[in-house]
Amino acid sequence: MGRVIVSTGRGGAGKSTFVALASKYFNPPKLLIDFDPDESLANMLGIDLSEKGEKTISGALYDIVEENKGAGRTGYDLLSSVLESAIKSDCLYRDAEFDLIALGTKFSIGCYCAPDAVLKDFIPTVVKDYEEVIVDSPAGLEHFNRKVVVDIDDLFVLLDPSEKSIKHIERVKDITKEVRVNYGHLYLIGNYRFTKETEEYLRSTGEAYLGKIDYDPAVKRYNLQGKSLLELPEDSPAALSVKRILVKAGYKIGVGT
Amino acid sequence: MAQTIVTTGRGGAGKSTFVALISRYLKPPSLLIELDPDLSLADMLGLDFHKEKKRTVLEALYDVVEGRRRGANISTTTHELMESLLWSDCLYEGRKFDLITLGTKLTEGCLCAPDELLRKTIPKLAKNYTNVVVDSPAGVEHLNRNIVSNINDLFVICDLSKKSLEHIPRIKKIIEAVGIKYSHFYLVANYEFDEEGEKYLRNTGEIYLGKIDYDARVEQYNLEGKSLLDLPEDSPASLSAKRIFKKARLV
Repeated sequence: MGRVIVSTGRGGAGKSTFVALASKYFNPPKLLIDFDPDESLANMLGIDLSEKGEKTISGALYDIVEENKGAGRTGYDLLSSVLESAIKSDCLYRDAEFDLIALGTKFSIGCYCAPDAVLKDFIPTVVKDYEEVIVDSPAGLEHFNRKVVVDIDDLFVLLDPSEKSIKHIERVKDITKEVRVNYGHLYLIGNYRFTKETEEYLRSTGEAYLGKIDYDPAVKRYNLQGKSLLELPEDSPAALSVKRILVKAGYKIGVGT
Repeated sequence: MAQTIVTTGRGGAGKSTFVALISRYLKPPSLLIELDPDLSLADMLGLDFHKEKKRTVLEALYDVVEGRRRGANISTTTHELMESLLWSDCLYEGRKFDLITLGTKLTEGCLCAPDELLRKTIPKLAKNYTNVVVDSPAGVEHLNRNIVSNINDLFVICDLSKKSLEHIPRIKKIIEAVGIKYSHFYLVANYEFDEEGEKYLRNTGEIYLGKIDYDARVEQYNLEGKSLLDLPEDSPASLSAKRIFKKARLV
């Protein structure tokens, strides 16, 4: 059974950056899931899904619904019978290093409840195929209310230095408790904007604080140029600090990675 | 009818900061609406809703739904009841502006119901104000949900990344598909931009209004939970927001 890892946090805190940086240290076979309709994880890993001939969940769902409409069929039951295989054949990008699925942007009216529900049903069916499944959440809290991932092993909360961020920790704990999202560990990670002084705020929360991601001008440059964070040099301060954070959380990082 | 102003952008770009900074330049009476369940606008304006004896939209909705489940005899529909509660319980009335905030949901399920309620009510609320400013949650779902379908000024707050540049055509495509109407589409850069970064925004073909200048006090105030309204008038962030707002002819 794979370990289920979820990153969450306020907008811009560094969720996708963390997942992109951490992805090379996780154990294979691994599946990365980008839950943000404003897709960023694939970009950060230098992957253009449509170029690779893969659909996003939103895109696949739209195509199936349109096809059904054309054929005069309606109803979710019918959908779910074809969805699982459709996702596996059309949406699952496979790479030597990792597999990746993205929720994708929807270019039609309405919320993301349907594509979210599709992924929610899909995740438990593939967890057994992977050593680690890493879910990168959209900004904010609604994904918890939607209970997209119910059983989490490690929940990483990415934080920016603001009072809102500290309050956000409490909100995450309240919501997950109320809606019964289970997690094994809740870990706090500071982003590069923290100083020694502001890190004290995180240490005094009573939660497990794993450290901060070190400032690295290369990360900013790569993100602006759309270059994959996987190409960062081994000694990049950002990558090294993420490695340190994962070791603190008890991850066994293989020799040579 | 009010000018309807909406801010949008990727997470952390500075949407709420922008709204908080421009709020002092709005011609009264103005209404601010916070659509982010991870409430930050009220915090940034130094407002404690509970101390003000006000409720968030979600708190009011929760009570109505719970009341019904426990068998309360309510003859009006949830929607009608909520519309009156928005006025009586959820509307904070200040000297400079009024404020309604969505609030955090602590129960299972999406935010479709409260968002739909606001979608229907915002045009009614707008009749009583000169300006209605909507601070959106991070990301794109609020656009798909078509919460505000008639916008005068749409401010897209950008952070310095390629993702941010890709976000611009993406939201235009959503807006068109969903049928949201706007009069002006403006780009605003956050403090991270340097001159080279600004060039990217100038080359998008959209109207670029300028950047919010770096201001150490903004970070400090946000960390201490101090109201951005207490920033001195000559603070670089405040002055740049005013300049941007002026360019959009809203001051």
